[in-house]
Amino acid sequence: MTIKYLFQISIGLYVIAGFSAVILSKWHKISNTASNILCMAASVFGIAASIDQLISAQGPVILWKINSSIPLMNFTMTVDNVSSFFILMLSILVFPVSLYSIGYLSHYYGKRNVGLFNTLYSVFILSMILVFTASNTIFFFIAWEIMSVVSYFLVVFESEVEENRRAGTLYIIMTHLGAALMLIGFMIMYSFTNSFALNSDSALIPEFYRNIIFLLLVIGFGTKAGVVPLHIWLPYAHPAAPSNVSALMSGIMIKTAVYGILRFIMIYLGVQNTWWGILILVIGISSALIGVVYAFVENNIKKLLAFSSIENIGIIFIGLGICFIAISTKNETVAALALLASLFHAFNHTIFKGSLFLGAGSIHFSTHTKDMDQLGGLIKKIPIAALFILGGSLSISALVPFNGFIGEWLILQSIFAGIQPGNAGINILFILTVTALALAGALAAGTFIKFFGITFLGLPRSSHASEAQPIPMVMNAASGMLVLLCLVIGIFPAPFIQLISHAAFEITGVSVAVNFKGSFLLTAFPLSVSGNVISPFSSLIIFLLSILAVLLIIRFIGGKYAEKKYGTWDCGFEGLNSRMQYTATGFSKPVKIVFRMLFRPSRDLKITGDDTYHPESMEYIMTTESIFEKYIYDPVLKFTERSSGVIRRKLQTGSIHLYLIYMFAAILAAMLYNRLF
Amino acid sequence: MAELFYVLLQIGIFVLISPLVSGVIKKVKAMTQKRKGAPVLQLYFDLTKLLKKQAVISDKASWIFKASPYVVFSTAIAASLLIPVTTFVVPGRFSGDIIMLVYLLALGRFFMTLSGLDTGSTFGGMGSSREVMISSLMEPSILVSVFTMGLIAKSTSVYDIMEMMQSGNVSLTHPVFIMIFLALLIITLAETSRIPVDDPATHLELTMVHEAMILEYSGRHLALMELGASIKQLVFITLIVNIFLPHDQLITYTGAMGIILSIAIYILKVVGFSVLMALAEVSTVKFRLFSVPNLAALSFMLSFLGFLQYFVFGR
Repeated sequence: MTIKYLFQISIGLYVIAGFSAVILSKWHKISNTASNILCMAASVFGIAASIDQLISAQGPVILWKINSSIPLMNFTMTVDNVSSFFILMLSILVFPVSLYSIGYLSHYYGKRNVGLFNTLYSVFILSMILVFTASNTIFFFIAWEIMSVVSYFLVVFESEVEENRRAGTLYIIMTHLGAALMLIGFMIMYSFTNSFALNSDSALIPEFYRNIIFLLLVIGFGTKAGVVPLHIWLPYAHPAAPSNVSALMSGIMIKTAVYGILRFIMIYLGVQNTWWGILILVIGISSALIGVVYAFVENNIKKLLAFSSIENIGIIFIGLGICFIAISTKNETVAALALLASLFHAFNHTIFKGSLFLGAGSIHFSTHTKDMDQLGGLIKKIPIAALFILGGSLSISALVPFNGFIGEWLILQSIFAGIQPGNAGINILFILTVTALALAGALAAGTFIKFFGITFLGLPRSSHASEAQPIPMVMNAASGMLVLLCLVIGIFPAPFIQLISHAAFEITGVSVAVNFKGSFLLTAFPLSVSGNVISPFSSLIIFLLSILAVLLIIRFIGGKYAEKKYGTWDCGFEGLNSRMQYTATGFSKPVKIVFRMLFRPSRDLKITGDDTYHPESMEYIMTTESIFEKYIYDPVLKFTERSSGVIRRKLQTGSIHLYLIYMFAAILAAMLYNRLF
Repeated sequence: MAELFYVLLQIGIFVLISPLVSGVIKKVKAMTQKRKGAPVLQLYFDLTKLLKKQAVISDKASWIFKASPYVVFSTAIAASLLIPVTTFVVPGRFSGDIIMLVYLLALGRFFMTLSGLDTGSTFGGMGSSREVMISSLMEPSILVSVFTMGLIAKSTSVYDIMEMMQSGNVSLTHPVFIMIFLALLIITLAETSRIPVDDPATHLELTMVHEAMILEYSGRHLALMELGASIKQLVFITLIVNIFLPHDQLITYTGAMGIILSIAIYILKVVGFSVLMALAEVSTVKFRLFSVPNLAALSFMLSFLGFLQYFVFGR
């Protein structure tokens, strides 16, 4: 019973936060602080409630029920373990993001309607809670639409920038295309089951329509998740939004799609065909690879993070795909393991991507630019933010001892368990998945070497970087707590995995044994999956001990440490300047050349002056093109434009008589249809 | 107690033997070129000398520059614990598997590439950028190779893989092992910055990768970077010789005598393999940077064919 009240208090506090922001909106600072503190309090209740629900073995909790007189319109909010897991991710992210907003939004004071922003922010969070708890398709769809529209308003909050408006438009169009397909899927479901409730009997739907619903829902949810090739809105919309909203969008909003796939396809429809899993796996592989390659060559810090989100959602889809395939080939243990790995990676991604987006926001706050080629040397100006972004980067690059590694390890272990003699096609697909994960992982590490190295190290490349402003303490604290959580999960993964396995258990019904046992040093806090053991804790201990030992040995052999400061080798020119270092563009050039089929880079070199060896000026322009936009979306757009032009000229002539004829014909057609069929 | 002994033995062997490997390779290369060459123990002298020297640090560098050598060194140490030099002293298993090994080494590489960017030097950025490309392209083949070996042994632990190869249940000349061996050989050449991917003996800007990243280092930091790199090299060599040339099944002694004999044979194998690596190095030329993807593709195809051979076409 207490769980129910905790959830209700949490939701109530979000509502109050939304209202208080509007009521106090005259006083920007007070309104901002009050509503964000309320959101933080709400998230604490959310965390407590969802952990409570996951641990307690009880069934779904009904939070709220409206029985209306309209048939089929009974709205219920239900929380089961799957919902609680997603609410837990949301709440864990909302706490630091709200803390961050207290400092971050200070640059809007007196310039923009901060109250309105915070109201939208609270409604955005509430809409996601509704998405996670809705128990019939209509209610789900309404919540989904609120989420899309409110996030659109947040994306275009700085609407005077042309780029942001374009990003918002692209986002709202793409998300509605997805939503429309989803709605068709829901309608097909209803036409067979005569019920919108999610516990209705999906066995009534014939096989053929089940496949259609699957495809419609995958495209619908895939658009929100930003999987390739439906991703084109994501790298524009996430950077356009203010950074606290980007953190929420990238951290949790794109995972509503994962929730949708779990809720509607895995739990409701049930997985029957192997090709479903193969499709999801292939989508995941292509998103992971294409996302990371585009992230690598990107120079805008927030766009880079957005592309990296595409990569990570790809990895989550890879886990889901393996799970689907394992279910359809009746391999329950592998299915449970893969789902657990996928959910765990989703959980991790929420945390580290949240912290990185907050960090990117801090960089923008401090330097007023998002272009890496303008930055450099920031580690000396904003050392604390640098430390936390380094932590986030290590985590997202799946390096020991951070949580990203554990997620990657679990996914690899589930593939390992999934490769069994016999099924040749699946085995080849699985080993190619390993290949994709390896390439994506290595390139992701490269991406974040570039992100951290170019932004924070070396010499400042412009006055933006050399005149960086200090960052408010609350902002650093917010990203710091997320990084700390990454580290804690990375070192002691077992309790977190057990928590998440409650959610996975509800779906697959198979529990995966995750053991704690072991003695000091060698096998402390191990994580073991089907006999394979790792212990990040032991590695960390070894790591620290060997640093200590080497310090002592060096002291013993080499004596006291002495150092001399001297300039970097400048090749004999007079003094090093920032133009001698590698730029972000230069850094990613080798990878750009290797994967040139994805970019089609073209270069343009202009030299003025007649002397080849002493030119007056040189201009070098390198352009790349996005093949998805050019070869998929542009032709579709052009076709639509052309055909709508034809329709406008031929059908919509503006003559009222013609319109009356259309109406008459439509009524006649409807009557005939009813008569004949 | 046995665990502590195991840890100390592993670390001791790796730290003490790894400079020898570099020395042997250099000596063999010199001999093939009819030079006398530096003494085999030259790297030991260099390291002790470097430790005593004052460190010159760039005034543009941050704490990352000073921290990186320690991270590179200790990740190499942590990685070395995951590959037993002998199966005689392993008390249980060290808690880490072959996947963790790959990601531990990646941590060291992460910091090494960052340190290349830290000083604002032209060369550092160049080295880092190239290293990222090469290592990214090599990664799939590493993971597929170790995955295939793991799948055959039904475990991702290196110890289990070694036991499987020693057990006599598998034929050591099975095509899958030959292909994975060749794939790992190419990986080892690439990961340890050897010809045909990189040239450890040159500081020419057109060719250097690893040397470019550590160009600004001096004193004890340089010593740690060099030692870390040679431990990493020994990690790969140990992985290959202990998996593809198992020897512990031949030893009938138990106890201390068995351990000593096993380690002696291990050192012989490592030296033998170093000679092989040196010969491989002198018999090829350095590739153009953008030919390295072809090498990576070759290595990947070998490991992938190995997988197909065993799991798809049947054994």
